[in-house]
Amino acid sequence: MTADDGGDGADTTAPRISLFAQDLAIPVKIRNVCRMDDPVAQLIAQCAAADRAAFRTLYRDTSAKLMGVLLRMLRERAEAEDALQEVYTRVWVRAGRYDPAKGRGMTWLIAIARNLAIDRLRARPEAHSDDGLDTVQDAAPRAETQLVARDEVRRVADCFDTLDPDKADAVRGAYLNGLSYLDLAARHAVPLNTMRTWLRRSLLKLKECLDQ
Amino acid sequence: MTDAPLTPREADDALAAEYVLGVLELAERSAAEARIKRDPAFAAMVRGWETRMEGLNDDFKPVSAPDLLPKIEARLFPAAPLAPARRGFGLTFGWLSGAALAAVLALATMATLTPPRPDLVATLATADNRLAYRITHFGAALQVTRVAGVPAVAGQVHELWIIAPNANPVSLGLLQDRPLVVTYPEPPAGFVFAVSVEPEGGSPTGQPTGPVILTAEVGQNT
Repeated sequence: MTADDGGDGADTTAPRISLFAQDLAIPVKIRNVCRMDDPVAQLIAQCAAADRAAFRTLYRDTSAKLMGVLLRMLRERAEAEDALQEVYTRVWVRAGRYDPAKGRGMTWLIAIARNLAIDRLRARPEAHSDDGLDTVQDAAPRAETQLVARDEVRRVADCFDTLDPDKADAVRGAYLNGLSYLDLAARHAVPLNTMRTWLRRSLLKLKECLDQ
Repeated sequence: MTDAPLTPREADDALAAEYVLGVLELAERSAAEARIKRDPAFAAMVRGWETRMEGLNDDFKPVSAPDLLPKIEARLFPAAPLAPARRGFGLTFGWLSGAALAAVLALATMATLTPPRPDLVATLATADNRLAYRITHFGAALQVTRVAGVPAVAGQVHELWIIAPNANPVSLGLLQDRPLVVTYPEPPAGFVFAVSVEPEGGSPTGQPTGPVILTAEVGQNT
């Protein structure tokens, strides 16, 4: 079992019964709509109730996944570790804003980690963060080859297949490796504006497919 | 898909996708972030893209992380809590001398009996109104009264913050059984009040550490 299983509930252990349901002081919104099939969401809700034990459990259950996100995007272990501390600080402080009705706990955590990584990448002085990426990307299995069981992932994979392979790679490279438009334009040897037009059209096409 | 220019809505949606992907340069990214905060429709588009892309999250392979919890906890929960919250703004009822308390009560009473009445500055309430605080301004003080709900459970406390535009939250004090009265000028429109849940005694750091459960902007929805 890996940390990312935590986000999916169905294949993990039975949902925790948490204390927050009895805790009248804490956001009504979260009490009412918390998804019992999402243990990570429950832990976040408990963090929102200032439950430090839940915070420790959350760290134990999800830090490997978030470290994977940060290391892949930032590509430097020391910086990834520093970012990991910042991510969990944000998680604790923002836990009350997490709305389980609007998404899974793990998706929310990964969004926080990715946003922090992207902010740091964009703030780096050098324009390109593309060095050495080919090996990273080639070594990592593509999303669509790894997964069979999970509907939404298969759906993403199917929809990526409707894009030109170049454009699908660009979207994936941006999402997983934190590539900017500058990086992508250099990588695909096209002008920046062309890259942007391509990518925007591809994204809208992807949406059309995913939202069907 | 044709080469026709994007409609404004498509362009917004594409921008939301670009933000989620992270391809924007810093300035555009900051602009998008600011928009998320003020434009709920755009924020919803961003959330939509986060959900749409979540299938890719499986590609992030877990990497064992060192145990950074002690460092994180040291940051979030410093071991020796300072007397929090009221620094610089002091004056809950509990801190007032008897005479001053009487004076404040007299003011409050007069305020309810005769015009001018205290100005309603903001109401902080959950959507279902199960917890609500009313903030009024009279004389040189803000008064905060709980008009619905109960105080935080044992071991926790609601702490009130005021946030000037582009500034860090400043604690106005702890919201307990009695109304909170703090000397404070009447906050102008655009200032934000927030209530967070903090450990007993108030935030140990001088900034909100627990979840923010209520917010209200001065000049809106009062």
